[in-house]
Amino acid sequence: MLLEIDDITLHYGRIQALHGISLHVNEGEIVALIGANGAGKSTIMRAISGLRAVSRGAIRFNGEDISKVRADLRVARGICQAPEGRGVFPGMTVQENLEMGAYIRRDHAAIAQDMERVFGLFPRLLERRKQAGGTLSGGEQQMLAVGRALMARPKLLLLDEPSMGLAPMIIQQIFTIITEINQQGTTVLLVEQNAQQALSRAHRAYVLETGNIVKEGTGADLLHDPAVKAAYLGVA
Amino acid sequence: MTTETVKKQRWKLNLRDRFQDLPKPARIAAMVVFVVLLYLLPTKAFYENLGFPIPVGSGYLPFYTTGSDMAGVLFQCGYYILLALGLNVVLGYAGLLDLGFFGFFAVGAYTVALLTSPESKLITEYNWLESPWPWLVTVPIAIALAMLSGVLLGWPTLRLRGDYLAIVTLGFAEIIRIVAKNQDWILNGDRGIPSVGHPPGTWPDGEAIFDLEFTPYYWLVLTVIIAVIFLIRNLANSRVGRAWVAIREDEDAAELMGVPTFKFKLWAFAIGAAIGGLSGSLWAGQANFVNSNTFSLENSILVLAAVLLGGAGSIGGAILGGFIVIYLPEWLRSVGDVFGWPTQVEIAGIHIDVSPTSLRFVIFGALLIVVMIYRPQGLWPNRRRAAELKDRQKEVAPVE
Repeated sequence: MLLEIDDITLHYGRIQALHGISLHVNEGEIVALIGANGAGKSTIMRAISGLRAVSRGAIRFNGEDISKVRADLRVARGICQAPEGRGVFPGMTVQENLEMGAYIRRDHAAIAQDMERVFGLFPRLLERRKQAGGTLSGGEQQMLAVGRALMARPKLLLLDEPSMGLAPMIIQQIFTIITEINQQGTTVLLVEQNAQQALSRAHRAYVLETGNIVKEGTGADLLHDPAVKAAYLGVA
Repeated sequence: MTTETVKKQRWKLNLRDRFQDLPKPARIAAMVVFVVLLYLLPTKAFYENLGFPIPVGSGYLPFYTTGSDMAGVLFQCGYYILLALGLNVVLGYAGLLDLGFFGFFAVGAYTVALLTSPESKLITEYNWLESPWPWLVTVPIAIALAMLSGVLLGWPTLRLRGDYLAIVTLGFAEIIRIVAKNQDWILNGDRGIPSVGHPPGTWPDGEAIFDLEFTPYYWLVLTVIIAVIFLIRNLANSRVGRAWVAIREDEDAAELMGVPTFKFKLWAFAIGAAIGGLSGSLWAGQANFVNSNTFSLENSILVLAAVLLGGAGSIGGAILGGFIVIYLPEWLRSVGDVFGWPTQVEIAGIHIDVSPTSLRFVIFGALLIVVMIYRPQGLWPNRRRAAELKDRQKEVAPVE
């Protein structure tokens, strides 16, 4: 088990956002978290990457409880997140953004190699290498955010809503690349509102409702689950 | 984009790139000539040979502040430029809004005053020191103490973001000023500390270099500025500098990339504070007398105005801003004298002071508003910050 979340709760001030969440991610998997707005998907991501402290429970990565570890040290342990809303550095060029992704690393030769790899996955980024991140289109920014997270060479890649605000064509592209990244050996935990895409790509998935996990199963199972269909796929 | 703006941008690009394209020896030679010119600035003869028309019999020289000592004005510009450079690290690089930056200046100035004055209570009452220390020895101590106060202030507050930080730093500067004003047992309250030491050195004829004449102080502060510029440039291009940019642009994203944000924010605070303290110790070395009146809130605001006016995140901008906020009102004052602008007007029996010096905050307020409307990135912007600003404007009002 690469990541194991054991009964975590989390509060924003006095509001409880997570009510005892438990889930796990095995090495080599794509795991999807789906749910409506405000279900707590992004909050789980923030808890894993360390932007928010949990009130209770354990987050074990490779067997070590990292719930008290600082966010930047979690990156060093191999967890890297492409944040919600893309969060690219607007004033830095595409290349500088990617270099920031490799901030914790000092193996310059391997960094250059990884940059080639990212440009291979996203040829659009190569075209815009010298352009400021803020001037990219939404889809390009999403590609940059994913590429930047890959530059840290994570064992576990966290993707927070990679499809947000993108055209269907681009969503398709992004998900194809996510599958490709996964096949190259990176474990992926993915938060999505686009349940159709997420479930068809994921090995396993969890359904989240108001801070509780209400269902789990393989992607295919959930895709055909009548309740999930009704609530998230818009099919009666 | 209209052709006109394209042309304008191209012209600007040309100016910067043309200089960059020069062969390295030529660039260095140009810089050396420029620096020599800077050292010549306080000399009156320099202005007499500029070739500008002079109104007959006025004693007026273009650009020379005839209303006040030019070297003194330039020295004041100098320590404000240092302050602006320090705040630029905090605000321009790391993006932390510090409204009480002058507090570190006060820490530096008081440290020097306490240690170098023979009338310091450390000597007269407490016998902590046997005799006053030389100025030069106290400067590193002043820098260290300013840095320490930066860390002490930053430790609890840098976990806060945005507005909270601004309010806490504002409080810090006010606390320093009020303590200095009321505290009697060591800082001597409003009576202050007289006979503060000067920098060392004598001319060949035995006269002290650093005495009443301002010019050597200006040369000293100019030299320090040049050294600080080199230091900051190197920092900005290092891993630390990149971390600052990342924190400023998106703190969460920076953290997700593995940047220890708190640590680097604290570093920015400490380095900024150190430069502020250095500026304070230079000022104290000249001022001879230190009390709390110097450290009012408006000075912090003036330094902030300097950074924003010049262009946050840009060394050139901080220098330009620091220069403008001090030089402009002094220059306006002498221009006013020459052309007979009134310093007072009487309206319905009330005398209103309209001299440029007392109106300088009104002038800056107006200037800042105009600059922020037409050139929000500042007069000499940092390219990257200009891009960030555009990005933020796009968020506020999408153009597409």
